[in-house]
Amino acid sequence: MVKHLTKRNLKVRAVAFTIVTLLNLSIFSFNGLAQEAKLSAQAAEGEKLFKANCTSCHEMQNKATGPALAGVHNRRSEEWLLKWIRNNEAFRASGDKDAIAIFNEYNKVVMNNFESLTEDQVKSIITYFKEWTPPVKKKVEGGEGAESKTSFYSETTLYILGFLIVILMVVLYILRRTKNSLKKSYEEMSGETEEAAAPNEKMENLKKRINPTIFKMAIGMVVILALASYGFYFGVTEVAVQQGYAPEQPIKYSHKLHAGELQIDCKYCHSTAEKSKQASVPSVNTCMNCHKAVQLRDKYDGEISPEIKKIYAAMDYDAENQKYGDNPKPIKWIRIHNLPDHAFFNHSMHTKGAGVTCQTCHGPIQEMEVVQQYSTLQMGWCINCHRERKIDVENNPYYEELHEKIKAEKNNKNSEYGKYFTKDGKINITPAQNGGLECSKCHY
Amino acid sequence: MAKKQLYWKGEDELLRTKEFLASQKNEFNEALPLDEVFSENNLGLNANRRDFLKFFGFSVAAVSLAACNSTSVRNVVPYLVKPEEITPGVANYYNSTCGACSTGCGITIKTREGRPIKVDGNALSPVSGGGLCTTGQASILGLYDTERLDGPKKVSNGSTSNIDWATLDTEVSTQLNAIQTAGGKIAIVSGTVHSPSTLAVINDFKTKYTNTTHITYDAMSYSGILIANRDAFGKQVIPSYSFAKSNVVVSFGADFLGTWISPVEFTKAWADRRKVDGISADSKVLKTIIFESNLSLTGTNADYRFPMKSSQEAVYVTSLYNAIAKLAGQPAIQIAQSGELAGDAIKQTATALWKEKGNSMVISGSNDPKIQLVINGINMLLGNYGTTIDLDNHSNQYKGLDTDMVSFTNDLKNGAYAAVLFYNSNPVYSSPASADIIAGLKKTKLSVSFAGTADETAKLCQYIAPDNHYLESWNDAEPKAGLFQLTQPTISPVFTTRQAQESLLTWAGLAAKTADPFANKGIYNQKLSASVYYLYIKSKWAAMGVSGDEAFNKALHDGVHMAPAKAAVVPAMAVSLNAIVSDLQSTIGNSTGIDLVLYQSVSVKDGSLSNNPWIQETPDPMSKVTWDNYVSLPKALAEKEGIKNGDLVNISYDKVSLNGMPVFVQPGQSNGTVGLAVGYGRMGKAGEKGLFESIGKNAYPFLKVQNGTYNTVVNGVKITKIDGNYELAQTQTHHSIEGRDLVRETTLEDIKKNPKAGNDKATPHLYTLWETKAYKKDGAPNHHWAMAIDLNSCTGCSACVVSCSIENNVPVVGRAEVRRRREMHWMRIDRYFTFENRKMVDYTDDLFLSRDYEGKNVTKEKGLEALDNREAQAKGEFTHWENVKVVHQPMMCQHCGQAPCETVCPVLATTHSSEGLNQMTYNRCIGTKYCANNCPYKVRRFNWFRYNDNDKFDFHFNNDLGKMVINPDVTVRTRGVMEKCSMCVQSIQGAKTKAKREKRKLTDGEVKTACQRACPAGAIVFGDVNDPNSEVHKLFKNERSYRILEELNTQTAVKYMVKVRDIENAKA
Repeated sequence: MVKHLTKRNLKVRAVAFTIVTLLNLSIFSFNGLAQEAKLSAQAAEGEKLFKANCTSCHEMQNKATGPALAGVHNRRSEEWLLKWIRNNEAFRASGDKDAIAIFNEYNKVVMNNFESLTEDQVKSIITYFKEWTPPVKKKVEGGEGAESKTSFYSETTLYILGFLIVILMVVLYILRRTKNSLKKSYEEMSGETEEAAAPNEKMENLKKRINPTIFKMAIGMVVILALASYGFYFGVTEVAVQQGYAPEQPIKYSHKLHAGELQIDCKYCHSTAEKSKQASVPSVNTCMNCHKAVQLRDKYDGEISPEIKKIYAAMDYDAENQKYGDNPKPIKWIRIHNLPDHAFFNHSMHTKGAGVTCQTCHGPIQEMEVVQQYSTLQMGWCINCHRERKIDVENNPYYEELHEKIKAEKNNKNSEYGKYFTKDGKINITPAQNGGLECSKCHY
Repeated sequence: MAKKQLYWKGEDELLRTKEFLASQKNEFNEALPLDEVFSENNLGLNANRRDFLKFFGFSVAAVSLAACNSTSVRNVVPYLVKPEEITPGVANYYNSTCGACSTGCGITIKTREGRPIKVDGNALSPVSGGGLCTTGQASILGLYDTERLDGPKKVSNGSTSNIDWATLDTEVSTQLNAIQTAGGKIAIVSGTVHSPSTLAVINDFKTKYTNTTHITYDAMSYSGILIANRDAFGKQVIPSYSFAKSNVVVSFGADFLGTWISPVEFTKAWADRRKVDGISADSKVLKTIIFESNLSLTGTNADYRFPMKSSQEAVYVTSLYNAIAKLAGQPAIQIAQSGELAGDAIKQTATALWKEKGNSMVISGSNDPKIQLVINGINMLLGNYGTTIDLDNHSNQYKGLDTDMVSFTNDLKNGAYAAVLFYNSNPVYSSPASADIIAGLKKTKLSVSFAGTADETAKLCQYIAPDNHYLESWNDAEPKAGLFQLTQPTISPVFTTRQAQESLLTWAGLAAKTADPFANKGIYNQKLSASVYYLYIKSKWAAMGVSGDEAFNKALHDGVHMAPAKAAVVPAMAVSLNAIVSDLQSTIGNSTGIDLVLYQSVSVKDGSLSNNPWIQETPDPMSKVTWDNYVSLPKALAEKEGIKNGDLVNISYDKVSLNGMPVFVQPGQSNGTVGLAVGYGRMGKAGEKGLFESIGKNAYPFLKVQNGTYNTVVNGVKITKIDGNYELAQTQTHHSIEGRDLVRETTLEDIKKNPKAGNDKATPHLYTLWETKAYKKDGAPNHHWAMAIDLNSCTGCSACVVSCSIENNVPVVGRAEVRRRREMHWMRIDRYFTFENRKMVDYTDDLFLSRDYEGKNVTKEKGLEALDNREAQAKGEFTHWENVKVVHQPMMCQHCGQAPCETVCPVLATTHSSEGLNQMTYNRCIGTKYCANNCPYKVRRFNWFRYNDNDKFDFHFNNDLGKMVINPDVTVRTRGVMEKCSMCVQSIQGAKTKAKREKRKLTDGEVKTACQRACPAGAIVFGDVNDPNSEVHKLFKNERSYRILEELNTQTAVKYMVKVRDIENAKA
């Protein structure tokens, strides 16, 4: 079951999220303050340097690419650390047994030399290690239970129910009117008033006057017509249109974080968008490029982020021992953009070929916490764009002949190709004018 | 009025039978099977108006309800670790070697997301030269065949059970060791193996099990040539034939364009030597002369075709020898039955050959070594050895000796073998001594088959160790001496199968890997390992001189590695032809007896892939029959016995008989002979009455041992007509060409004088109903796609038809639907017969066509008396029926500039693009079929069914495995829509996108249609006529080019080029 983000649902989520966030914030800020107060100025300097230079490979409490660094000052002498950090390569070459041992232990992954750091700076990092204390374990508040509810009624069902009610009202109204007019005519014919006739008798008369078949048919026709017009409207505008479709994905990957805040280029992950007709969801090893090191333990009390754990589960990666297992399970993402099979859309044509940005079709993806389908993906939407955009015939040698033909008729605005010149002497030719609306451009 | 050559498609049209003419009047030649549909669903209804309304109402309601269903959730499952070379949505291409037969054509495999979807010829390989035959094209479906075995099997008491590889290895090795210790004999029976590494594996196996014999067995062997060359020159090889260096080729029943040895290579070489554009008065084309019984593909393309009674071949070849010997001043062969045959055909042929001595070739399709010795003698007289025929850079494509197989069969029957391994061979099906093999197999202690499917032989073995499909395999090949090719896997094995070579190595104890070069190459959790046989091949190639990764990968990339050619030595013949006269005499059959001539059909070939629906649905180029083999009768015999098309006959010889064979009266069949194709009558899946069990009947039992080899000619067969009737599923019989000028041909003599010869019709006056701009004066703004088809190169081999079907997801419809004329092929090869000038009866008057079946004139022309005395003319010897000429014409959507189909579509589902394409939009089509009715070329196809999910069409389209071969760039059409050739618009769009992306112009030849890629002869050229430098632009300007039905002013985007034959002009 996919959970549709209905408006109601959204509200529930928003409220729950606010509560949880507020609670968390208060705890975090308190802890943060408590810890910072303990650091000396030198250690604070060291923390800055640590975060700038070391965290891509090291964590305090856990092994990452390199060893965990909490308590490293107890394991090694300051002199040893200085030599290692500033030029571990030379240090290893000098034949230090410990240095070689640690290098081998971590799969011979070469650590950068930090000769740019002064001795004092390195010492301040070591001070930071000395003064560092593990963060206080936070209590689990609220959890995720708050947002896992789904709406029983989908939007469509509600609309249908509403519509049915309207129809029933109409039927009721018609029936009432029929009844009244019948009554009227009965009164006229018999000269009796309503009060005069007994209720039973009145019903009998009514039944006699109405042809039951015609009555049923009339009601049937009304219902059918109403349903048909609704169906037609729904059919041409709504069926298979999934604009706004935002299913919950197996991993709560946030485009807002990655593309928005971290400014990672779309093509880093969707690497085929400029090469292939498919932009393609990245393979899991792309995630691992960063998330082998980025585990967000500081946000989860020293535990790996539960979402990142899902990546590891997919790869069957044991983060503690940095080993891959034999039981990887591919991630089943839910497909959001579903074009019908007979429509062939080519990403590379539009991105690389025509220079259309990702956001043109996919919307402000860098702001989406949960990705949703931004455009209707209907044919009319495609065609509108083909009518409005302009082909860059001047800078793409592919269009050389077309460009020549247009240039040749520059002074003849009414000619076949001259018409592409705008008043200010620029060429304006849209894909539609160059065959971009023809069927077999997309259907074959 | 000028006389004109009369072309006709089938007997009905030629004779203008009443039924034929009546059927032409109706839009559908049969009533629509509405009743059948209604009663099929057990509704017990006869369709009437009320039922129709009920069904109509129900359908509308059902469709509306179905439409209310919201779109289902679809998943995207990306790779865990994406292989570096794969970009989803972009195809990868790998060079390899075709495994459909032992010819070993170099191929290029197209894969999408690691899934092979198309096979084409590799232009770097001299064997394929860029083209590929029907069988090779279709062989890709074998990978996705539901009949494949999913893993190793153990067979006991007729039932098959699963077994795992380890157990199989232990059991087989134990048995083999026991047999070795006891001194028992082991046989490996294989098809021709020319892979150096596989041969090395077999040798390694022999080293371990010393008592092993390797028997090479080809179902249709070339033993005759091998033995003749062994006896004459001491070299047991098939020579290389150079068509490039020849000016005359004379063939006795060798169908070198269709099935003989290396047809793709020969077709390319032949077509290259038939080019006539800009030919000077003294240059020559390759004159082609053939003597044959059955009308073969080569026969239809020959300049001169002479009917021959195959049992008399010895007489023909000795006559030719003697005629040439006379010219050369050499002694003749003293043979009793010699003389001038086929009129003065032999004499003419001898003269033509003698003029081109040293630049000619004489070949024979006979499998009799004695006849082949005479052929060798003729080539010696002509001095062709060392020039056109090369024994030193020989072919390895067929190495099987029937003599070996005959003695093996006897030994097996007598219990001489303790173990038999069958690799790539199925003698229980294809050997005429099948019963002996079955009996012998029961006496063996161990029998193993490497077959991928449970074929006739495998079912009788104790173990089946299924081999990978060739698209899953590593291998190498040496189809010709010094030409090395590699086979590489393009998909990991679909099932738990294992390469036969690896199995043999395992049993020989050599499968242990010392070091795996890939062990540490995987990233993340990728686990890579090199296949045992890959390492084996690499070490063999290193020994061959291709050492190191770089050199090996280069060979792998190209698919081909060539060693320098050896110098061809002119041999001396060690056999005196007069010494074999009595042997020759013994081959000559009774001249009054009927010859049965067995042949391989162009697509089914020896039958090893005959459960492939693409192969079966490809119409035979000569008869246009699909899904069956049949007895092809000459007209004279049919008239004499009172047999008509579709009658059933029993055919028998000695103890062998086939009952209830359908008959096809084949124009061109030599009098006194009948033809029958082998390769049919395969048995389907074990225990199930599969679809393929009913395709034709097995003709292999008729093979007859003659001079030690299996011979395809049987003299003195009995043919008896029996009651009953069988409608063969033919594709090209029902339309009438109404005497229109569709095919044009001329002679070499004429075209040398006038490049417009044969094409000098006045341009008709063109009318149009429409006020269209037609084309802008300088053509379409960007491109104008067009195609030129050279009828002079096209041999009719039909490779394009299969290629088109694969590329464009064209469904297979099966025999019953073909009978109803509902085949879906977007492309067809029209085949037109015409009587040879020399023997022409007076059918040439074009007034003949101007009558309808009631005898009234339908045009202003006056009626033809010929119609009335047709019967009288038809009596006699029917020699004109033996001497037909054939023209093949590929036909597909002509992409008319003013298309009749476009103007009648009520929903604009077929429209014209600014690039000259006639577009078909399936999602708009509502199936009125107006367009098909209005199409003058009859190229539109209607989807009567939803073939892709309908189990009544149980071919490959209805199961998940078979669907793997679908081209993801082409829509799978549903029921109720019209479809037709799109000129591979997906390739056009793909190439345009690539060019726009790379900001460059599209180059000529960048877009190739599927038919063009497949064509071994290079007859099809596609491109942009707007580009003045494009090849198609030049061909459109060529004097030989013409538009078909130009008078309709359809302004087609396809032009044909006049066919040219190297024959003497007819005497006026």
